[in-house]
Order: sequence, then structure tokens, then C-alpha cells
Amino acid sequence: MKLRMNLVLLALAAVLLFFLPDLLKLFFDKASVSYLSLLINATSLAILALSWDILARTGQLSLAHAAFFGAGAYSTAILVKQTDVSLWLGLPLAALSAVLLALLLGSVTLQLRGIYFAIATLSFAEVLKAVIQKLPSSLAGGAAGINVEPLFRPQFIAGEMERWEIAFLRNESYFLLYAGLLLATIVLSLLIESSSLSYAFSAIRTNEEVAAVMGVKAARFKLLAFVLSSMPVGILGAIQAHRIGSVSPDETFNVGTTVLALVTPIFGGLYTSLGPILGALGLASIEEFLRRTFSEGYLIGYGIVLVLSILFMPKGIMGLLRSLRKAQRESL
Amino acid sequence: MSLLKVSRLSKQFGGLNAVQNLSFSVEEGMIFAIIGPNGAGKTTTLNMLSGLLTPTSGTIALNGQDITQLTAAARCHLGLGRAFQVVQPFPEMTVEENVMVGALFGARQSKQLALNQTHAVLEQTGLLRLKDTSADDLTLLQEKRLEIARALATHPSLLLLDEVMAGLRPKEAQEAVELIKTVNTSGVTIIFIEHVMPVVRDLADQVLVMDYGTPIAEGSYHEVTQNPQVIQAYLGTDEDAA
Repeated sequence: MKLRMNLVLLALAAVLLFFLPDLLKLFFDKASVSYLSLLINATSLAILALSWDILARTGQLSLAHAAFFGAGAYSTAILVKQTDVSLWLGLPLAALSAVLLALLLGSVTLQLRGIYFAIATLSFAEVLKAVIQKLPSSLAGGAAGINVEPLFRPQFIAGEMERWEIAFLRNESYFLLYAGLLLATIVLSLLIESSSLSYAFSAIRTNEEVAAVMGVKAARFKLLAFVLSSMPVGILGAIQAHRIGSVSPDETFNVGTTVLALVTPIFGGLYTSLGPILGALGLASIEEFLRRTFSEGYLIGYGIVLVLSILFMPKGIMGLLRSLRKAQRESL
Repeated sequence: MSLLKVSRLSKQFGGLNAVQNLSFSVEEGMIFAIIGPNGAGKTTTLNMLSGLLTPTSGTIALNGQDITQLTAAARCHLGLGRAFQVVQPFPEMTVEENVMVGALFGARQSKQLALNQTHAVLEQTGLLRLKDTSADDLTLLQEKRLEIARALATHPSLLLLDEVMAGLRPKEAQEAVELIKTVNTSGVTIIFIEHVMPVVRDLADQVLVMDYGTPIAEGSYHEVTQNPQVIQAYLGTDEDAA
């Protein structure tokens, strides 16, 4: 029942997102371009955060998101470079390579818990990066990387002199692609939440031994969560590769991806579908606001915001909302 | 054939022999007590039975099948249920959700069947009216009931109870005794660890006494309490005498 209601809300959100680029143009005219790029940032951050949270629900803290992102980006880039097949085939291929990577690495490392698992997964991206650099550059581009053909034509604004890349980035079809991927990730997360998986995930998270004695095969569920969590990130990597127009070892396997994937859901509120999304909207807006206000050194301000939020809302935005609602109920 | 057969089971922690050469068997339908002073190896034994510890040597057979190498989850699927001495509910879940974990993954059934079974178990353990309470907000007696309810939801043929009476007031302990009797009557064989001797007297068909990791006596309540070795083991550490 709850699932059905959420899916209806999601369908409404889908309609809104579909018309959002046009609405932005209507309200903000030329400035709509920067709002659209803010939205793209928020959406991709939400995909990273929500997919990360899926594994976190089993109690495993992953630092592997840059690896899945990079695997998706590079498999698409190599496919596009080496073959003449449709560009769109890169997206399912990216999902597949992220899943295979998750299966391979997860089956080895998921028996580690807590900080040990985190450290093991941190090495995934570094290892992949080194492998890409060592592969013959005719295949994987070496340290310089590979150019990736765009999925959509560039959009120019009449009468404006601007660089091609910007015109490429602006294409609003990309926003629809990101929004579609986010919606799919939300559906995945909601399905997990309403299925019996959610019982297994939180049992494993709170007490793995007791869960095992009650018949929960922890290893299998953690691997499943890892695989499900890797899939959206792989596709995200592929879309980003097309939009940016290139992949390179340093840019694509960026530790920043890994950090954002865990900071955002913590900021928004862990173990929910809504928390990571609120976190992404919040962080992307704060970052944009700070960048416009202090163009130099805005990252210091961003850091301060994060520290303060951890200190004053340890359970994230969701925790804050929950305690506000509780206070309201008690005052009635 | 015995429901559970333990043969020459031993567990060493470094140089310490926590359990040594322990053999016993439990017949179907029985209530079997394991007693002994603190540090006798009772909980270690239960941990080896439920698969949380691997024995150093020896074998455990359930229904004739050797389960010594199986994981805890696999043993649960074969009908081995376990309630812990220190209650460990999943604190972020409600009472109902706690029991659902056992009903879904222990008894391996669809969500609807699991929900029905959960309600039946909650009814049986007197927790139904608390089903939407957070497991964090229960009293000790309620937590102990939840501990038993979760184990029952896995649909066990053999239930291991680790000192479920500890910390309960006499009247509460009496309620718990009644609950265990009902569970046993419904066809579940029970092994329990207990310090409270009247409870052992009221419940146990067979009593195994352990001291320093070794079995020192086995028999009816009457037999073992007359055994000079048992009396000596208890008088030696009188804090445990009941």
C-alpha cells in the first residue's frame, strides 16, 4: 500500500522532471542553463548517494563507488572507440561491467566488516586506474584517456559566442537521462524497502550473528546489496563519459566520487530512500550558493557546512525532520 | 534415533579447554537442562550447537545428519532455533519486524505466510498487543519473550534457550516456565541452560551437569542433585548455588 502510494508520487515526479527544462526556460530565460546544470549535479549526486545507501543498509561501508563509476565510464568509452555499434549499447554494458566487478570483488571482500571492508574497497579504484594506465593505449587510451562521442547534439543559443563543450553540456536531453536513471534507482530502492530484503538488510546491519542464527544468509544478502548498489553507478559513469566527452584515469577514477557517495547520504539521512535525495539536493545547492558567493576558497565554506551538519544533525536531514515532527506532536 | 547427538565435543581457546570431550544426546520431545557453575562451558556448548563457534574436535548430529561444519543459518534451516542469554533484539525494528526476520528467513516462507506465523507466535508469547512497539522500548520480561518469539518464528524442531530466566522476578520466571512448557507441548524439543534450580526442577526431563568444561553427571533432577560430585562442584563456588 505504502509502495503503491510512493510509486504514484514518483510518477508525478517523473512528469514534473520531464517538463522541468521547459519550465526553467519559462521562468528564468537564459539563466535557466545554470539552473539546469545545478539540477544535473544534484541528480547525479542523488544517484551516487542513493545507490551507496542500498549497501549501507546491510551495515557495509563501501568506498568502491569511484571504481564502479569508472568501470561504467571506461567500458562505454572503449566500446564506442573500438566498435561501430549503437552508442546506447554502452549504457547496459556499463551496468554489466559494474555488476561483474561487484560480484568479483564483493565475493572476496564482503566477509570483512566495518573499517576493514572500507579499506579493501578503497583500493578497487586505484587498482582499476593502474590497470587502465598499463593497458596498451590503442585499447584504453593510457594516461591521456579516450574521447567519447556525445549522445546528443550540441545546443547553441543564437547570437552567443560560446565554446562547443558548453553547448554540449547544455543539451537538456542529458538532464532527462540523468532524471530517468535517478527515477529507476528510486524505484529499485523502494522495491527493496517494501520487500522482505529490507528485513534481512537491517537484521544484518544491527547484529549479523543473531541474524545468522535466525536463518539469514548474510554473505548472500550483502553480495546482492553490493551488486544492486553498483548498477546505477556504472550507468551514471557511462552517461557522464558521454556528456563530458572524455574519460581519463585521473578524472574518471576520482576519489571525490567515493567521498561524495558517502557524505551525501550521511548528510541527508541513512537507510531511507528520501534521505540521500534530500542530501543531494541540499549539498548541490549549498555548493552552488557558496561558489557564487565566494569564488575563491569556497570549498572551505563547504567543509565548514559539512562539519557543522555532522555536529548538529548527526542523523542528517531525515533525523532533523523526524525530531521536528516528534516535537510538534508532543506540543499538541 | 536421538534428535541431537553430540559426540566428544571439545573447544579450546588458546590454552584454555572451555569444553572437553562432551557427549550427550537429546531425544525428541524432551526438555533437557544443562547446568553448572559459571565458566563451566555451557554457553560455549550452545554456541557450538548453533554454529557461532567451530568446535576444536568432535561432532554434532541433528536428526542423524552431521551438522558440525554447517553455518549458523544452514543449521537454522534444519530446525535449530536459539534464544540468547543477553537479549539482543534488533533495536531499530518493531516487535513484529523482529519476529518477521525469523519467520521469513528461518522458516523460509512468503511474506504473507510469514506475517500470519509472526502473529501466531506473538499471540503464543503474549506480545501481540506490543507488535508495533519499538524493540528498544520493551521491559526485560518482554525482551525475553521477544527473544523466544524470534526463535520460535524460525520454526525450530529443537530450541536452545540460554538462561532465559536470568534477571526475572519469581512471578515472571513462573510465567516464563509456563511459556516454555507450552512451547514444548506444541512439539518443540528444548535444551536450556539455567542457574535457577527450581526452574530446572519444574521443567527438565533430563539434566546434564558441567564443571570446568567436562560433563560430571547426567540424569533426572533428583539423581543429579544427590550426586556428591555435583554438590562439591556447587559448594566450591557457592555464589552459583541456588
